[in-house]
Amino acid sequence: MSDRNFPLIELTRLVKRYGDKAAVDDVSLEVFSGEIFGFLGPNGAGKTTTIKMIVGLLQPTSGTVRVAGYDVFQDPLQAKFVTGYVPDEPNLYAKLTGREMLRFVGDLYGMERARVERRSEELLRLFELTQAGDDPIDSYSHGMQQKTALACALLHDPRILVLDEPTVGLDPRSARLIKDILRQIADRGAAVFLSTHILEIAERMCDRIGIINRGRLIAVGSMEELRRMEKSQTGREGSSLEDIFLSLTGGAEYAEIAEVLE
Amino acid sequence: MNEIRAVPQAGLWPSVWKLMRLRLVILLSGFRRAKTTRKIGIIFVGLLVLVFLAFVLFLSWVLLQFVRSPEFTRLVGDATPFLQSIPVLILAGVFLLVLLTSFGVLLQALYLAGDMDFLLTAPVPIRAVFVSKMLQAILPSFGLTALLGLPVLFGLGLAAGYAPLYYPLVIVMLAALALAAAGLSSLLVMAVVRIFPARRVAEVLGLAGAVSSFLCSQTWNFMEYGDMTAEDAAQLFALFNQFNNRFSPLSWPGVGLVAVGEGRWLAGLGFSMLTLGGASLIFFLALTAAERLYYSGWASLQGTPRRKKAARPSLSSDITAARSLTAWFDRLVTPQTRAIMVKDFRMLRRDLRNMSSLVMPLILGVIYAVMFFRRPVEVAGGQGNPLFDLIFENVSVYAQVGLSLFVGWSLVTHLAGIGFSQERHSYWVLKTAPVSTIQLLLAKFLVAFLPGLGLGWLFLTGIAVLQQANLQSVLYTLLVITFTLAGDAGLSLAFGVIGANFDWEDPRQMQRGASGCLGALFSFLNVPFSLLLFFGPPVALSLLQVPQVIGQLTGLLLGGVYTIGMTIVPLWLVRDRVPRLSEA
Repeated sequence: MSDRNFPLIELTRLVKRYGDKAAVDDVSLEVFSGEIFGFLGPNGAGKTTTIKMIVGLLQPTSGTVRVAGYDVFQDPLQAKFVTGYVPDEPNLYAKLTGREMLRFVGDLYGMERARVERRSEELLRLFELTQAGDDPIDSYSHGMQQKTALACALLHDPRILVLDEPTVGLDPRSARLIKDILRQIADRGAAVFLSTHILEIAERMCDRIGIINRGRLIAVGSMEELRRMEKSQTGREGSSLEDIFLSLTGGAEYAEIAEVLE
Repeated sequence: MNEIRAVPQAGLWPSVWKLMRLRLVILLSGFRRAKTTRKIGIIFVGLLVLVFLAFVLFLSWVLLQFVRSPEFTRLVGDATPFLQSIPVLILAGVFLLVLLTSFGVLLQALYLAGDMDFLLTAPVPIRAVFVSKMLQAILPSFGLTALLGLPVLFGLGLAAGYAPLYYPLVIVMLAALALAAAGLSSLLVMAVVRIFPARRVAEVLGLAGAVSSFLCSQTWNFMEYGDMTAEDAAQLFALFNQFNNRFSPLSWPGVGLVAVGEGRWLAGLGFSMLTLGGASLIFFLALTAAERLYYSGWASLQGTPRRKKAARPSLSSDITAARSLTAWFDRLVTPQTRAIMVKDFRMLRRDLRNMSSLVMPLILGVIYAVMFFRRPVEVAGGQGNPLFDLIFENVSVYAQVGLSLFVGWSLVTHLAGIGFSQERHSYWVLKTAPVSTIQLLLAKFLVAFLPGLGLGWLFLTGIAVLQQANLQSVLYTLLVITFTLAGDAGLSLAFGVIGANFDWEDPRQMQRGASGCLGALFSFLNVPFSLLLFFGPPVALSLLQVPQVIGQLTGLLLGGVYTIGMTIVPLWLVRDRVPRLSEA
């Protein structure tokens, strides 16, 4: 089980505004070493915006993001050294081969060449990309590109891994592989922060779950804690994550529509 | 569950209309939603086009009347065959132009458009998708050719007093020829895509198109129009007449038009019907082939097997060699900087769209070098005055730097301008990596500067060897080129940061707003100013009988300080923008 004394990701009163609209509104949370944190929310709730601020792709309007104790915007290099990121769309350099891409990322992280070569081969083998390693990335399928992006994120053995919809476009075998890898990484003491729409993944994989809606973090806790919260609000017992999610984000009325369609 | 009902099969032309209407709706709603200033701009451009059409019509009318005048006939002989060959030339030109230009456009529209998945899974006939794509693709080139061809042909009709039927027939012929050309082009596209990957064909085509259009635009440099005589003009007219050959199908539409205009109805309608029949045949052939080839070609495109390439030796040895350089170099050019440089050079080499921009300065350099040696610059000389003799001697020594600098400048400004934009959607890789702004800017600077410097030095050394220039001047000019190009790279890269666009689809839109133009303008103005500082002191001090080396050292000091400033200051001013790039 995770060591709860050591927060590796700390968001404090994080706000991101686009004009009058708050995409992320006063979000504070912590993700601890050894923990897989699932970040859920409806489309447009602010998940990707939050993730982009954690990895330094977007500057917050206010608030702070710290990873492994480093402020992402005050000490960006230190923060980035310890972070791995997999975006929702794996936009990699199309004209590089998989191996060249990994080598490039290794150089960016200042890794020893021999270590880069060893890790690259290990990761290519793990993701079944050894044969395709010398092909240009623009010939890869979406799933292969997603796996290459994950290999790039894992290359430097990050202490914090941030993934935006990591299982989208993957076959069940690859999706299972990624779930296993994330569990292993967390068990070795890293913090894994992932967003997903697949509630089953979140329920089974994540130690804690955060639900964001319209930019505000409306619930954080383990499944047990969320169930207790749901029970105190609705009186229902043994709710699934889907029930809790729909109840919190106002999607329960869609059940009626489904009935009509049936 | 609802019961499955039979869906009526949509007809070809109603489906084509549905798809074309969609484009029309998008166009109109784009106009409706545009800002008022943009709307006014569009209306203004529309009015300008109408004025242009009227002007070309008037000009053609007046000129062709002059060509028919007795004065002109006295000068170069009877021009009637030439006038009759004008429709032949224009219509054949339209056909060939649409045939050539529509290949690339059709390749994009038929195989690489983003909406193909959607359209091919919609319940519309494949032929309708094909026809609508083809019409959308040829409309711009047809519009452009019609814009120039139509008023000239109408002007000819007015000047020659052709029959009224001539005018609507001109429009029908232009449209039929454009459709036939596009049909042929689409057949060619469908055939090529079955053999080669569509994306690769598009890249090769982009490179070939850019290089050939550039070469065409530069051919005027080799032309000499000044000595044209009336005899030459008569020979040119005779050459035009040769196109008016009735055995060539390309001449049939023009011959038919002239015959209709002159009231020779049988010949006119005969040739016109032949043209329309031929055009229809080609178009329906393309349509039939589309049903067989298009979908299967597109479908196979989705599953194109990956190319197996022989494993290349890794670059690790190169990087290891680089690491063995001096310690200060290692500190300055960090592994991160080197990694970005290696990546950028690979991307530039492999993406043929970039290759065209790299090849352009080389072609430009070769063209101007040929001109330079074919007709060397003759310096007027001081005409006996020792002071002026001295000035001109220096000027001729330093003049050779211009060509090399021009070649290097065009490469440096281009590479620096697109330095950040070329990252496109992959910029997140650099942004989330532990790379400092200085390391990133240095990498992008070196990627822009080094190829331009190499090319500039190559040209300069070549010219110096051929001209047997003295070593001191060559070394001095090599330093001048180095410093001037560094200043240009810094300036252009700063504009590249300001105008970085990561959402481009068309490589011509890699820089936002006016920053591309401004960057090129400022860096262009930077060149003469730098040269003034480098070459001013040696020339001025030579007038005072001061040894040349003192003048050159003074120039190096003044120019060096200025160009180093231009390398660093603009980048320093934009450094805070770099970490915020690509944020909405």
